[in-house]
Amino acid sequence: MDIEKKARFGKEILKINPESETEEITEFVREMTLKKFRRKGVIVGLSGGIDSAVIAELSVRALGRQRVLGLLLPERESNPVSLEYGQKQAAQLGIETLIVDITRFLESFGIYSRRNQIITQIVPEFEDTFRFHITLPQNLLEMDRFNYHSITVEGNDGNKRTERLSAKDWMEISACQNIKQRTRMIQLFYHGERNNYLVAGTTNKSELMQGFFVKFGDGGVDIEPIAHLYKTQVYQMASYLGVMPEIISRPPSPDTYSLPVSDKEFYYCIDYELLDLLLYAYENEIPSREITTALGLEEKEVERVFRDFKAKEQASWHLRQIAPTVTGC
Amino acid sequence: MRKQIEQLIRNFIIESFLFGESDSLSDSDSLLERGIIDSTGVLELVAFIEETYGFRLADEELIPENLDSITNIVDFISLKQAHISNKG
Repeated sequence: MDIEKKARFGKEILKINPESETEEITEFVREMTLKKFRRKGVIVGLSGGIDSAVIAELSVRALGRQRVLGLLLPERESNPVSLEYGQKQAAQLGIETLIVDITRFLESFGIYSRRNQIITQIVPEFEDTFRFHITLPQNLLEMDRFNYHSITVEGNDGNKRTERLSAKDWMEISACQNIKQRTRMIQLFYHGERNNYLVAGTTNKSELMQGFFVKFGDGGVDIEPIAHLYKTQVYQMASYLGVMPEIISRPPSPDTYSLPVSDKEFYYCIDYELLDLLLYAYENEIPSREITTALGLEEKEVERVFRDFKAKEQASWHLRQIAPTVTGC
Repeated sequence: MRKQIEQLIRNFIIESFLFGESDSLSDSDSLLERGIIDSTGVLELVAFIEETYGFRLADEELIPENLDSITNIVDFISLKQAHISNKG
């Protein structure tokens, strides 16, 4: 099977049959929910993005709309369209929803004020009404370079200023930001448990391989029905399942920063179309010549991306582990 | 001078990223490929160099050629210092 796949490496390699994939995933969701976990239904956090929309669609097909609960968890820095699209998608599916604004929980942790204090030390003119995001350098293909985080602050007048972050400041800001996903996880489990539902995760394979999720945040779930699908395959599923066009055409974003930022800008540094093909090639050890021929890249470019993959894989290995024990069991 | 820089950098890497376990770190080992530093580690290393040697690293200087091994780091610092003293 592997040999056959490797021989056919090309831009079409990630094409899936969404119909059979849907059958397999819905069977998995049914089996897990009703037999393995013995729960009455599934709860899904609807972010207004494509992954959660696909999970909601698949859950409804697996269990029926009466057994699916959509939880919408905005906070004051969320893009307003996230809530709007999440609600529309839920209405289209006919599932029950709950909206819990998590701003007050985040305020009680003091994350906004603590984080803004740090930003003010970096950009003294920063005010609470300013917006900001974090990015990595985007020139991954073009040159050998390290990843480092930069903060871009946008003032009320629209002017932007970008500064490289120190390790300490990045870790502080990141720790604050991750509380957003962890608060959502707490809400999902609270409403899941009170309804005797399980929590369905929305992590895809691209995210899982590269560690683009928060441990005990969006990674804290009961089942991961699309963790075997690359992001571009999730798009194929979305089209087949009839996810709203607005959600499909929306640029993928972590939506945890007040200033919009795409997954590419924040983490991957290349577009999903190329990322997924290269992740596949990386995982399946496709020979370099086949990759360069199929994708029109230079060997050096592939090497750079693979080095980046390896670095992120190594840095995030712990996210994919359950807590190690002394006896290893 | 070069020896001093090398010792300082080696000690910093061993203390900060290997937690005292110096075992088999050679001067030419790639810090990234050996998993010794990640993106946060790079920034820690940059801060150490900036604080110790009193110059700021530009974003475009954060490349493996300058920072991915003890040898590269020492070469880079030596070059920067020579450049600064020539200017001064």
